[in-house]
This record gives sequence, structure tokens and C-alpha cells, in this order.
Amino acid sequence: MENIRRVAATVLRAPFTRRTRREVCYCAAGAVTGLVGFVLVMVILVPALFISASVLGTVAGLLMVVAVLALARRLGALHRLLLRRGTGERITAPAPFEPGAGVLGRLDRRLRDRDAWRAVGHALLKLPVAILEGWAVAAVGFGLVDITYPLDWVLFRNHPAGTRLSPMIAAAPVPRGHLAIGTLPGTLLAVAIGVACVLAGVWLARGIVAVDKRLARALLGPSRVSELERTRAIAVEDAVVALRRVERDLHDGAQVRLAAVAMNIGMAQEKAGDAELRELLDAAQSGVGEALADLRRIARGIHPPVLDNGLADALDSLAASSPIPATVRADVARRPSPAIETIAYFCVAELLANAIKHSSANLIEIDIDTERPDVLRLRVSDDGRGGADPSRGTGLDGLRQRVSTVDGALHVSSPPGGPTRVTVELPARMTGRGT
Amino acid sequence: MRVVIAEDAVVLREGLTRLLADRGHEVCAAVGDADALLAVVREHVPDVVVADIRMPPSHTDEGLRSAEAIRRDFPSVGVLVFSQYIETRYTSRLLESGAGGVGYLLKDRVGNVGEFVAALERVASGGTALDPEVVARLLRRPDPGLAALTPRERDVLGLMAEGRSNAGIAAKLVLSEGAVEKHIAGIFGKLGLESSAGDNRRVLAVLRYLGAPGAAGE
Repeated sequence: MENIRRVAATVLRAPFTRRTRREVCYCAAGAVTGLVGFVLVMVILVPALFISASVLGTVAGLLMVVAVLALARRLGALHRLLLRRGTGERITAPAPFEPGAGVLGRLDRRLRDRDAWRAVGHALLKLPVAILEGWAVAAVGFGLVDITYPLDWVLFRNHPAGTRLSPMIAAAPVPRGHLAIGTLPGTLLAVAIGVACVLAGVWLARGIVAVDKRLARALLGPSRVSELERTRAIAVEDAVVALRRVERDLHDGAQVRLAAVAMNIGMAQEKAGDAELRELLDAAQSGVGEALADLRRIARGIHPPVLDNGLADALDSLAASSPIPATVRADVARRPSPAIETIAYFCVAELLANAIKHSSANLIEIDIDTERPDVLRLRVSDDGRGGADPSRGTGLDGLRQRVSTVDGALHVSSPPGGPTRVTVELPARMTGRGT
Repeated sequence: MRVVIAEDAVVLREGLTRLLADRGHEVCAAVGDADALLAVVREHVPDVVVADIRMPPSHTDEGLRSAEAIRRDFPSVGVLVFSQYIETRYTSRLLESGAGGVGYLLKDRVGNVGEFVAALERVASGGTALDPEVVARLLRRPDPGLAALTPRERDVLGLMAEGRSNAGIAAKLVLSEGAVEKHIAGIFGKLGLESSAGDNRRVLAVLRYLGAPGAAGE
């Protein structure tokens, strides 16, 4: 009994809460944007699909698809905004669209924009939700009007008896949902219908808003895959930044201090007269020298400082210390992101070391270019004996794995007898912090 | 010698100042970044500058860029670039900035005070001072000419490439100067180089032979 009363109280009080008012207002806005969004998307998308069926129309069709994708992203942003304002539901926006370079690059990125496709899906699936939202608003609206009938009757229908009046129509947004009322007691029935409509509308609004939120959360937030891609890019770049910091700390911290120690020992050596003391100082000096050489080697393996000047300089340095003559041809229009430069550098270093160790070549050629603006391509070729096989557990396999952490690719061409040519393709920048 | 020091690590800056003062050289100024370096060089026009390769603000290759600027604007000022590491690419940039009056040494080398000061003096008087590490890398090159050298001749060639004079080589290898000259003649014969007068021209000829990029144009 107590329970029933509590439920009834909740049901009946619902129309007077602030939350309900917000939900009904949101339903009104959501219905309009949902319907408009659906119509806009369909108006472009359907003809686009038809046009694309013909050869000539493919280009126009593609452009229209691109327009739909761009539009869907905007609509998604609008829906997120409405949800936040109307219901307080915060949905994280997916990463902004990153245009590729060149017409084809742009097109390709657009068509593979997973978040935009999901937004298109949302625009289409939102239609039934928008209709129900509209219906809920209509129910509340009609109900409120119906409730006012007794008052209307008293104010406007107190004509002398015998006057013939057209009946008042009490309406509800359901099929055959209207009732002609010709007497004052009849208006009380209209009130009953009105109350029922308001209650139905309010509770429908609550239910459909919950559905709307779920739909938006599922399709308008960042997708799992793009979220993983983004965080991976951040992780890779953070790792590079951290390694550079370690290198700097080694070079500018420990190494400088050791150099100062070496200098002080050096000055002491000059002043020491005692042979035994000199011997000790000599030993200290050579120890410091070895420590410095070790540190330099470690720091170099972490991050070669010359990479700060760009890949071309770094590869020149690398080639210059090769015992087999090596040439570098670099044609990089725009510097790739630091993480990509570092990966590219260590790829070349490893490929060069491989060639030196196994190829018995007379000449090694290193080429890097950004012929396709989104792709950093590097190639290490030698005129040696060939026969390198990445599937036989050589360094090439590890290299392929390292390259794949940034969605790069590695191709090996090494017929027996040579020549060997290894090509690595890396994305020029990572999709991450919008860099 | 009148010396300007540019080094952002205080321990080394002060240590170098003291070391040079001990040896009777005048340290006109000791600064911590590249902008200040150019200003004090303009003010004092010293005989030689010791510049750390990596200094504020960007901590990349300010020292090297300052060296290039100083060599261009003040040809009488020698520049010794002082670095935590060796990059062949940096060597060639330095050599491109003009024949002589440049040096590139690892910071480790201050441990041997005598040699360090000698290298600095060489740079101040228009000579060259390349770190043994740079030279070792250049000598690693496979080359039939180099293969024909005796171990002793390779030693002499390395020291020549570092920029040392005959007397310097003789002292280092504990040989007489006459013996050094004989070795040098042998080396030049085997490598097919024309023996040229003047230490600096000789250094360049050797570096050019070793394929140090940048040593090609005098």
C-alpha cells in the first residue's frame, strides 16, 4: 500500500520537476535537429549513391559523400551540444578531422574518417528517436491545452441558455484522439484526458531521452579504435620525448660534470710532483675518460643529438661513419614529427649495419623522400650479394615490428646475388595530438 | 692568448677560465649562451673562442652556428667548438666555414691540459684541431692507399689530420722531427698527394684525401 502511494506520488509529481521541464524542452530541440539532420543527410546521401553507380557520376558522388561526412561531423557536434545543455550529458568529442596533404590525401582521409561515418549512422538512427521525442512534446502540449477547458468554458462560454455553440474539441496525439465537448461537466473529461496526455508525454520524454543519450554515447563519442590510435600516437611521442630528455640529462648533466672532473684531475696532474701520486692521478684520469666514452655511446644509442638538425644531417653523419662507402640523398619537403624522425633514423642505422655486416657491398645508397606528402619513404640499397630474408628471424623482422607500431610498412627485395633493396614507409606524422 | 669562453655549464666555464688563467692566458669574457657570445666577440675581438656546441636557448647547435658566424665576420678569431659528442656532419660544417682557425674537440680533452691548451693555441694562430675521434672515423674508410701504409705511417697521418705540426707529431710519437718528415714524405708518396708547404694546407690535403666532407673547397 505504502509502495503504491509512493509510486503514484512520483508519477503524479513528475510533471512539476525541473528535470522534466528540461527533458521536454530537450525533446523539442532534439526532435527538430534530429529530423532536419536526417533529411539533410538523406537528401545528399541517396542521390550520391545513385549517381556513383554510373562511371561519370563517381567523382560527383564521392564529393557528395565527402560533403555528407563533413556535415555529419557538424551535426554530431550540434547533438553533443544540445545534450550537454539540455540534459547535462557530457560526451567527449572524437579527435578533430585531420586533412591529409594533396587532393587524394584529403579524399582518402575523409573516406576513412571512422568518426564521421559513425556520425552518419547516428543521423540516420536518430530518426525514430526524433519522432518519439516530437510525439512526447506534442502529448504534453495537447494535454496542457485540454486541462484549461473548464476555465475556457467559464470565461468564454457563459452565453444565455439555448444559444447553440459548436462543441470544444479535446484532442490527444493518438489516432481518433479527439472528443467533442458541449457541456461544462464535459470539460472535466477533457481535463482527465489532458492529465493523462501530460503524464504520458512526460514519462515518454524521460524514456526517449535515455535512449537518445545511449545512442549519442555509442556513436558520437570517440570510437574505441580511433581512441586507441590516438593514445598510441601519444604514447609513442611521449616515449621519444622522454628518451630525448634522458639523452640531454646525460650529455648536459653527468657528462659535463665528468668533463669538469677530468679537467681538475688534469690540473692536478700538472702540479703533482710525487711519482706515486701521478700514477694514481693517471689511473683516475683514464677511468674518467672511459666513463665519458661509455656515456657518449649510451646517449648516442638513445637519441643522436644531430637528429635535432633534421634527418638529412643525421643520416649524413651516419653514412660518414660507414666503413663501406655510403651516399645519402634526402628530399624531405617538410619535417616529419620527432617520433617519426627517430624511428626513421634507427631504421636506417639498423639497415646500414645489416648491409655492412652481411652484404659485402661496394656501395650503399640511402634515399629518403616525401614524394607522397603523408608518407616518409626511406630506402637502403646495396650492390652486395643479396639473399636477405626477413622471415628467417634476422634483424629485418624486428625492424618490421618496430615500423608497424606507427602503421608503417617494410618491403624487402633481395634476390640471391643481389642487389638488396629495403624500403620502409612511415606516416610523416602521427595522428595524435593534432600535430 | 686572449680567449672568450661560451659554455652554459658553470662548472666547466669556471674551470676553463681558471685553467687558462693558470697558464697565463687572458680570458676576456666567459658567457653562457650564443647571443652573449657574439656580443662579447664583437666587443673584445679575441684571438680565440671556446664555444660549447649546445647552449641556450634551443640547446641544439648554437655553438656551431656562432662559430660559422664568427669565422665569417671576424676571420682573425679562431673558434674551437667544444662538444659532448662527435658528429661527422658538424665537422664538415666547421671545415666549410673556412680553412684553418677552427677546431672541434670533445670536452673530455680538457683532461690533458697541455694538449688542450696546445690545440687552442693552434686554432688561435690559424691552424686546425680535430678530435682524434673524428680522425679515427675518417681513417676507418676502406681505401687501397690507406691499406698500403705502415702502422707508423697511419699514426703520423692521423696526427696530421688532427692538425698537428711536425714538431707536435714528433713529440707525441717520441720521434725526431727528421723521422717524422721521412714518414710524411712516405705517406704523401703512397697516397699520391703533392707535398705542400704550410701546416694548414697540408691538413686540408690530408682531410680531402680522407674524404672529410667540406674539406674539398679551400
